[in-house]
Amino acid sequence: MTDIAVQSVAPLLNVEGLSASFAGRHATIRIIDNVSFEVKPRRVLGIVGESGSGKSVTVRSILDMLRNPGRVDSGTVMFNGRDLVGLPEAEMRKIRGKRIAMVFQDPQAALNPVMTVGEQIAEALVVHGASRAAARERAFELLRQVGIPDVERNFDQYPHQFSGGMRQRVVIAIALANKPSLLIADEPTTALDVTIQAQILRLLCDLKDELGLSIIMITHDMGVVAELCDDLVVMYGGRVVERGTVADVFSAPRHPYTAALLHSVPRIDSNTGSQLRAIPGSPPTPARLPSGCAFHPRCRFAVERCRSEVPRLEELAPAHSAACWVSAADRMSVPPEEEGLVRKARRTLSANPILQIEDLRTDVNRGSGSFFSKAKPIFAVDGISLEIRPGETLGLVGESGCGKSTLSRTIVGISPVAGGKITVAGRDVSAMNPEDRDTIVRTIQYVFQDPFASLNPRRSIAQSLGEALGVAGVNGEKARERSVELLLRVGLNEDFLERYPYELSGGQRQRVGIARALATEPKLLICDEPVSALDVSIQAQIINLLEELRDELGLAYLFIAHDLSVVRHISDNVAVMYLGKIVEMGTAEQVYGSPQHPYTAALISSTPEPALDARQEKIVLAGDMPSPANPPSGCRFRTRCPIGPAYFPEREICSTSSPNLKETATGQKAACHFAGTPIKAGTRDEAGNG
Amino acid sequence: MTVPQSKPMHRRWFNPSIARYMEAFTTTRGIAALTAIILISALAFLAPVVFPGGYDVQSRESLRAPSFLHFFGTDELGRDLFVRSIYGLRSDLALVYFAVPVSMVAGTLLGLIGAVSPRLGSFVQRCLDIIVGFPGLILGICVVLVLGAGWTALLVVIVVSGLPGFGRLARATLLSQQQREYVIAARTLGVGKWQIMVRHILPNAVDPIIVQGAVFVVSAIFIEAALSIVGLGLQPPEPSLGTLLNNGIRYISRAPTYVLGPTVILIIVALAFSMLADALNATVNRK
Repeated sequence: MTDIAVQSVAPLLNVEGLSASFAGRHATIRIIDNVSFEVKPRRVLGIVGESGSGKSVTVRSILDMLRNPGRVDSGTVMFNGRDLVGLPEAEMRKIRGKRIAMVFQDPQAALNPVMTVGEQIAEALVVHGASRAAARERAFELLRQVGIPDVERNFDQYPHQFSGGMRQRVVIAIALANKPSLLIADEPTTALDVTIQAQILRLLCDLKDELGLSIIMITHDMGVVAELCDDLVVMYGGRVVERGTVADVFSAPRHPYTAALLHSVPRIDSNTGSQLRAIPGSPPTPARLPSGCAFHPRCRFAVERCRSEVPRLEELAPAHSAACWVSAADRMSVPPEEEGLVRKARRTLSANPILQIEDLRTDVNRGSGSFFSKAKPIFAVDGISLEIRPGETLGLVGESGCGKSTLSRTIVGISPVAGGKITVAGRDVSAMNPEDRDTIVRTIQYVFQDPFASLNPRRSIAQSLGEALGVAGVNGEKARERSVELLLRVGLNEDFLERYPYELSGGQRQRVGIARALATEPKLLICDEPVSALDVSIQAQIINLLEELRDELGLAYLFIAHDLSVVRHISDNVAVMYLGKIVEMGTAEQVYGSPQHPYTAALISSTPEPALDARQEKIVLAGDMPSPANPPSGCRFRTRCPIGPAYFPEREICSTSSPNLKETATGQKAACHFAGTPIKAGTRDEAGNG
Repeated sequence: MTVPQSKPMHRRWFNPSIARYMEAFTTTRGIAALTAIILISALAFLAPVVFPGGYDVQSRESLRAPSFLHFFGTDELGRDLFVRSIYGLRSDLALVYFAVPVSMVAGTLLGLIGAVSPRLGSFVQRCLDIIVGFPGLILGICVVLVLGAGWTALLVVIVVSGLPGFGRLARATLLSQQQREYVIAARTLGVGKWQIMVRHILPNAVDPIIVQGAVFVVSAIFIEAALSIVGLGLQPPEPSLGTLLNNGIRYISRAPTYVLGPTVILIIVALAFSMLADALNATVNRK
């Protein structure tokens, strides 16, 4: 990968010693400090870091787009032999959008809702001096280039008529409108589902080759880096801590942070027997950056010097630099951490399920009709059966909109049951009368995705926990004692009692959320994406905590996530959901080892792996999930299925009859007429709704 | 496990908000508004001390223009208009300081009733819509017809006309808060509806309601004035800013300065409360 030819080519963009700060009321806070890197023609540079690491500020500084009160303090940004720092706004505008284009995280926010997508693309061209007619012509061409189907019709559609993946394609088309030589993509796939992410990553990859683009890819996901990038810059606390080619960094990381980051995420093909190697602590905020090396409080190699002196970025191997006193001294790559603790022996599972669901249906449109007519029912959960026994973890995976959150909310009684039966601890609670709710509350509790939203910002931690304990009948001094116990149990301490949520980091808030769920001593926790809102280095801590609690308290989990690697790591059994139905269910080994349903196979294949050897042909699903208001006839997956009638027209059964969950040769259940059919990787990539 | 014997769990559910309201009075606008309101209120409520003679001292000098002896001039019976204005202001402020909080509390409760029973909640909203449907003066006339002109009628009119505003604000908070994850979290914990309303929804409704309250003080004073101008407010000889204006209009050709004093006071009061609302609004909405 690091051939001489590439090394010697003059860089397209050369950032040297870039520093930027935000002027606050009392103090000026340095956000990025002495950032240097270069982007070579036709290569993809990944900038990786957690929240607050300064990666977005870096690219905003390059384009002179820092929001007030931010400003660039020093450094040079050489683009095609021209320094962009201090360029007048009029000059900068000619470069922005024309020579350097940008793609943002949220395609919804990046498009104007009252303009058709075609007009928006044409506008990007007209602004830089094209005629209306020519701009329109080019817009058609661009839409085709980014894989929008049926361009003639879609040209005059509005953004809300497009799905998330299609919108992101439009945003990319706008970015490409003026044939830029550098594309900056700021977390372009973070808001998207894995199968759509795979589509967009492939699109970017194709565009790079086709148009000879250079790309700066900002991400927090090492999997995306492994998938797409050639070079890598790792940022921590506003500084570059490691820089090199992806191959070098992944095979021999020189900074302990990079190494820890690579090892803390669960792997989809990993052995699930051991705990994850979590990085202790949480990422620093720019206002309270630790002295010396910003990573030293969390680093297992830290020596005295790390606390006092900021390490310089030094070339430790050819074209591979790191800013670390320890690895600079011994010139070695960071050794992998000793194996994680082996998980304790699990309790034996009893035979009686704690939660049993039979043929459950939930109508999410209920009550939204007008005074005169009832709304047409929309079954977001449509005939789901599953059971969870004490001490067991059922992982539930699926893309957004597949109904996994609706399912969990129906179980705890927030959404009404439209049909079917829910049995909790041996009691049929489908009627949801007060005694039923009581049974549910005492048996099942909920851990929410976003720990900031799920804690009332006006209430102290003691109050939030006290509320939960009050429900369980524990009040007064007893409640305080119990709160402290709960906090200790989740790895916090008494000091947190009087704090408010804004004083806590994301990981700490999620711990409080878990403590609150444990207050009523439930038997089953429903974890709805409990780690997806957290920084990568925090996720492992929370997963380890959940596993520890499960084994110590004999809890059962319904673990909902879109991240397949995390689900595999924690789950005994896995259920895969698509458009309100379970398409495959079995033990984690069965489902991941030999997926029988093509959707499962595609999900597993689409998940980016933080390893280079995983770079192989992917199964990229075409199109998006249809709306549950209007599901396809027969098999609901048939519109996107790589082995279905879209590719094999003779398989008519898929459009006429809905497959049932039935046992397959490998032991798990799958709902597919052609279960187990091998899938050719790299199915044609086309966005479209069929 | 040993837990130190310290203070019991706090029950300070809107302490942070109170601290924020105090911040409003560190801005120039806030200080100016608060000073003006305190001075005006002190003057009004201490009127019997400052002007021990009362508002009904007559003289032969009727319908005089403002002078050093009579700041606002005199009325048709030779009574000092400044004294009468201050006593009038006293009636108005007494009325408003009593009616507005009552309206705030009642409106908020009506708006939040939907937290306990969604059906009752939307029924109450439709009733509030009906109140909005009446033009203010018509509503006032109806109430006066039933209760007769006087303090009670004015109180009822002010309280009732404030209800829709407060009720809708509270309901808006309720509807948005019900979607919040921490409210859903409380529901999954099995927390009761009343407790959710008091702990999670009410504290969030307090901010907009307080600001709206300051705005409504101005409206309430104008309601009093409007009713009194048409003769449905406080009855003579009791002065109010509205009755003074009512009388002033009758003598507008012979003594054009009659209405000047009460108007100036009305404007000062309105400005002070508007500024207060502004300052509070800027503080509570600061991100």
